[in-house]
Amino acid sequence: MSFFTTLFPQDDFALFGVILGMPLLGALVNGIWGKRLGKAAVRVMAVTTVVVSFVCSVIVLLALAHWVDATGHQEGGKTVHDHVRVTWTLWQWMHTNGGRSGGSIPIDVKFSVDALSAMMMLIITGIGSLIHLYATAYMAEDKSFHRFFCYLNLFIFAMLILVMADNLPVLFVGWEGVGLCSYLLIGFWYEKDANAAAGKKAFIANRVGDFGLLCAMFLLAHFTGALDWNGIESNAAQLVDPPVDALRIHLWPLGGGRYEGWASFLQPNNPLTISAATATGLALLLGCTGKSAQIPLYTWLPDAMAGPTPVSALIHAATMVTAGVYLVCRLHFVFLLSPFVMMVVALVGAFTAFYAATIALVQYDIKKVLAYSTVSQLGFMFLGVGVGAFSAGFFHVFTHAFFKACLFLGAGSVIHAMHKRVHDDDKAQDMRNMGGLRKYMPWTYRTFAVSTAAIIGVPFLSGFFSKDEIMYRAYIDRLSSPMFERLKHEGNAPFTPPAWIFTLLFAVAVAAATMTAFYMCRCFFLTFWGDFRGWTIGRPSLLAKIDEDEPGEEDLSIPAYPPHESPWQMTVPLIVLATGAAVAGILNMGLFHVTPIDHWLEPVFESASKAAVKENPSPSAGALLPFGLGAFVVGSYAAYYLYVERKGAAEQEYIKAATRFTQAMTGILFIAIGAVLWGVVPWAVGGYPRYIVCGGFGAIGAYLIMSYVYVGLDKLYDETAVSLIDALADTSAQFDRYFIDGVIAKLTAFVVAAAGTVLRAAQNGVVHLYAAIMVVGVAAIGWFFVIPHADASVAAKGSDFTVTTGASGGYLGYAFEWAQCEPDKKVWQKEWDAAMQVDDAKKRATEQRRVVEDLVAKHARCEAPGDKWTAVNKETVARDGTKDSFGDVPEITLHLEADSDAIVEEARPVRLRARNVFSPALRNYAASTTVYVPRPAKVTSIEVGQNQ
Amino acid sequence: MIPIEYYVALSAILFAVGGVGFLVRRNVLSVLMSIELMLNGVNLAFVAFNRAATHNHAGQLFAFFLIAAEAAEVAVGLAIVISLFRIKRTVRTDEADLLRN
Repeated sequence: MSFFTTLFPQDDFALFGVILGMPLLGALVNGIWGKRLGKAAVRVMAVTTVVVSFVCSVIVLLALAHWVDATGHQEGGKTVHDHVRVTWTLWQWMHTNGGRSGGSIPIDVKFSVDALSAMMMLIITGIGSLIHLYATAYMAEDKSFHRFFCYLNLFIFAMLILVMADNLPVLFVGWEGVGLCSYLLIGFWYEKDANAAAGKKAFIANRVGDFGLLCAMFLLAHFTGALDWNGIESNAAQLVDPPVDALRIHLWPLGGGRYEGWASFLQPNNPLTISAATATGLALLLGCTGKSAQIPLYTWLPDAMAGPTPVSALIHAATMVTAGVYLVCRLHFVFLLSPFVMMVVALVGAFTAFYAATIALVQYDIKKVLAYSTVSQLGFMFLGVGVGAFSAGFFHVFTHAFFKACLFLGAGSVIHAMHKRVHDDDKAQDMRNMGGLRKYMPWTYRTFAVSTAAIIGVPFLSGFFSKDEIMYRAYIDRLSSPMFERLKHEGNAPFTPPAWIFTLLFAVAVAAATMTAFYMCRCFFLTFWGDFRGWTIGRPSLLAKIDEDEPGEEDLSIPAYPPHESPWQMTVPLIVLATGAAVAGILNMGLFHVTPIDHWLEPVFESASKAAVKENPSPSAGALLPFGLGAFVVGSYAAYYLYVERKGAAEQEYIKAATRFTQAMTGILFIAIGAVLWGVVPWAVGGYPRYIVCGGFGAIGAYLIMSYVYVGLDKLYDETAVSLIDALADTSAQFDRYFIDGVIAKLTAFVVAAAGTVLRAAQNGVVHLYAAIMVVGVAAIGWFFVIPHADASVAAKGSDFTVTTGASGGYLGYAFEWAQCEPDKKVWQKEWDAAMQVDDAKKRATEQRRVVEDLVAKHARCEAPGDKWTAVNKETVARDGTKDSFGDVPEITLHLEADSDAIVEEARPVRLRARNVFSPALRNYAASTTVYVPRPAKVTSIEVGQNQ
Repeated sequence: MIPIEYYVALSAILFAVGGVGFLVRRNVLSVLMSIELMLNGVNLAFVAFNRAATHNHAGQLFAFFLIAAEAAEVAVGLAIVISLFRIKRTVRTDEADLLRN
């Protein structure tokens, strides 16, 4: 270990280059030469690069642990470590101006890894390499094998950039990169329209979120003056402190104005402002909802199941969708500054968990069940980080990666086997065609069982520890911080969430956990228990409603063969992941107070631990345990009863009920948003905007509840946003066809043809004419060389200026002739420096001083009559006689503006003389130009500071 | 000695006459003859300047080169005229419009 720590110092850890470079190399080689190299080489290249990255990530982790240990010191009786970051800078990318003082913010391409990033890197590369191995078998018969692995490696590269970034712009590069790879991989089988459309949907939903992330970057750059983690953390308090009006973002009236005249009905009684921290937090939340598939931008994730299953496992279970949670953890100090945003994050997470679970109850496609399950579990993670339990939420990321990847890979294994029997994609994934697979696919069955047990919270598996910890913390955590106490004393209390919110969050989480247990067990029983229903595809079956017009492609005359277990490349990752899902809980057992991961992440979340406060007296984790256990028991027993004992007979009725329930939930969501806006936002009493906006939400909600056609959130978007864009696109298409193609294109074609007809007359084939034209041309060039000409340009430097002549052919030299001075100078030169005449300069300085004195007299307070102010230099003035002790003198800043449009009254004519080799006799032929001297900077305003 | 300006003037006159003749004449053979006249004018200028600079013979040598080049050019030019005549049976330039359009 000391070999590595001496080879790579902490601030120049070049091993990052290997970690990042290997997947990129794999992507390039596979993409450019993959087809020629053949499947075996592509396979080896892809898997090896990610495995090498994983090994290096382990080395980074160990090195980081070594450095963290070295900083251990005692604080308050226990050992505390510093927040250690291992960095590597590549180059300075750009710089921008920001911060409240307008200073320059340098943005470097810089990577830094701390405890949080190290864990993410291990997840990405470790689970990534297992999934690469799996995919070598899953995609073995695909004709675009090399393209798949190119994209997959590229995804690993982009995701690593995201988690290893040291500042927001580099993180954004990775953020966009994973969005791009998600699009490429979801639409991998692009020949089918549905897959391409799903890819587009994913990318566009992500982009909507990215708008939020960009706004957050702008806000952070403006208010904190930094874009890297260290800088933002040190300046984060500037988002709320000191509480001045400049830190409030004016929402209504937008920009802080007033509505007057005919628009005065829009003017509210109290203008709606939010603090900069709230604005930044909400913008970041928008970015995270896009990337991590929360309400309202989750609709892309179920459609993303159109991609190959390894893609779903890697991107939409383990890594990309957790980027949102990672961002919240990374910028936790910004979120903590605004309790309102924390509450919103927790509410969004809890509600998404609940909502997605209701949708998952009624899905028949095995991958869709897992997709909605992912959305739901991400909701749990957001709930965890929203109440301040950052390491608990992140630990759920960690365990979720294991069991969700295992579930997806297991589903892929099942689909792989089903596909051999049924070549139709939809039927191969339909759980109504499965059943009883436990005797045909034993390893898949066992690993799926372990992961299902983990996700529903069976005691002592990983999901139990992570999920129940989140639910516990949702109930007991209250946030406060010393800064809030101070602000409260100053009369600027921040928003405090009401106490019943936490009970609500807990109840919603428990309900979501119950439903999780139900639908996961349902999925498990339908797929692996009972009898295999796939023999009868194409024939009516007990549970399935199969369209009689579309029989399956199976030849029913030959005896059917049973599904078989997958090859070792697919089962070994399943076994590894299932083992991880089972035992990973040991790493953070909140119940037994053995929490190595909490301790490891403690330095990262320092401000969180200072801010979170448990309510007193708080129920212990043991007292809330029955709720978690009860959720799992009730849910799984209900699924067992319905599907195993009653063989799913009652399913149809409850599916109808569950669908209506989900629709009602969407309706209630809209009504709830309307109610919140009515109550929370200070509208003008009796003002129209309030009625319109809140009434609108309520109307949509009521329509959704009352309507008998199922209109979920997805279809609502289709009807409204998508059709608006479609209409706009149609209008543009018509405009393009009739106006641009019809008028403009045809007009320009006509003009060009006419010009051509005219010019064609010159090409009459008579060589003599061509020779004559050549002679005319030669004469013109000769004239240009023989006749002297010149021009001049002026560059002003303060009160001096330089006149430079322009280049021209055939000239030996130039001379200048001033109208007023040195008329007989016979030296030929290209540049002439001239200075303002002495009294001109002095006149200008005196004028400037007079301006300064006028302004100072108007704005500064003179302590005694007869005080005189002088300009010491361009920037500061001092009271006469006190130049030595600037401490007593108020600071005055002059704002100077270059008055480049103004010209002095006197213009100086410059006469140039030119000669050349051809015309010594033409020496006196002259050109002339006029030089305009711009006025130097003038004082525009003056600011008097306060005595410090 | 004849002043050099007279030679240069004569050379210029010959060149101008040849140039104008080249542009104006309609018979291809007359055009070729005008080109000859231009070249001879230039030759005269070279030799005249050489007389003013007696220390080297560069002018006369270059005059030799020009004569040789001139001869070659005439040969090629006449070959072109003969080809044109074979195709179009004319030696008028305004009827030699094979390159039209």
